[in-house]
Amino acid sequence: MKTFKTWDPLIRIFHWSLVGAFTANALILDDDGKAHQWVGYAVVALVLLRLLWGVIGPHTARFASFTPQVSEVFEQMSDMATRRKRAHLGHSPLGALMIFNLLAAMLVIGLSGYMMTTNVFFGVEWVEELHEVVVFWTEISVVAHVAAVVLESRRTGVNLQRAMVTGVKSVPDDLNLVK
Amino acid sequence: MTGTASKKPGALLVLILVQAFCAAFFLWDVMQEAGPLEVLALRDCHVAAEAVSALCLLAAVLFETHYLMTLLRRKAHLERQLSLAAGAFHEVILDHFERWNLTPAEQDVASFTIKGLSIAEIATLRGTAEGTVKSHLNGIYRKAGVAGRGALLSLLIDGLFQLPEGTTALIPHQKHA
Repeated sequence: MKTFKTWDPLIRIFHWSLVGAFTANALILDDDGKAHQWVGYAVVALVLLRLLWGVIGPHTARFASFTPQVSEVFEQMSDMATRRKRAHLGHSPLGALMIFNLLAAMLVIGLSGYMMTTNVFFGVEWVEELHEVVVFWTEISVVAHVAAVVLESRRTGVNLQRAMVTGVKSVPDDLNLVK
Repeated sequence: MTGTASKKPGALLVLILVQAFCAAFFLWDVMQEAGPLEVLALRDCHVAAEAVSALCLLAAVLFETHYLMTLLRRKAHLERQLSLAAGAFHEVILDHFERWNLTPAEQDVASFTIKGLSIAEIATLRGTAEGTVKSHLNGIYRKAGVAGRGALLSLLIDGLFQLPEGTTALIPHQKHA
């Protein structure tokens, strides 16, 4: 087993705070309540912080380091199709696409949610529908994200969920590395 | 599995993603229209039709994803094969893999072993332990009904000789043992 420090503390705090805040707003809190609004603002603040960290943060946090080439996406999918094992030290290409998807979705949800509180857009149908559709899309994405993490952990033998808690990826010795 | 799609896996992936989003949208819309009636709302023709189309779209997404993975697997094997054999032999090999119901991992190991790679080399290329490769090989030989690599190769070459010009459909399934 070789170990690699992969996720800095800010990334991990961001990840698990977002998990908590999104779960609270999507499943627990009353949609019309004040608490729902405040948690929503907190999510937007978290995402904006993450965007800033993606520019000034350490290597594995930077968008420039994990924005994938099209060819890299298909290399990972070929590995999945042939059950070959290669580990990515930062985000995998498909993982990176999911992150962009989730970050963008969170911002759209936050913006449309805020618009509903303004006088101009209060009660406007398309704003409300946009908010709800993107929340549903995000819920599906979260399920896909969790399923992908479990399946990719099993395929490669690298425990990805633990790495998001401890910040350290433990990679089996016979595994090939990408990058 | 040849044709335009095999040259443009990127287009297929974009199609899958767009369709997945559309499927999500229609599913959400069906749930909105159903409201508190839930499953009973399906008695309404409009809601039922919309639900069916949403599920069809979802099925299409799953089917296309499966197709894309098969495409990528074949591509990965063909690239490794080009240097040693022509496309016809590759077709024969794929045909046999399908008849034998090899798993994706077994197909990968089989195509490496046909190319002549050792167990250690295959383990390195696939990032697995040698024991895993050995158990895949056992599965391959068992499903093919052969004793080892030599017999596997002669079985495949046999299939190539029986191949009528330009077709791959008439290879008899040879089961020894």
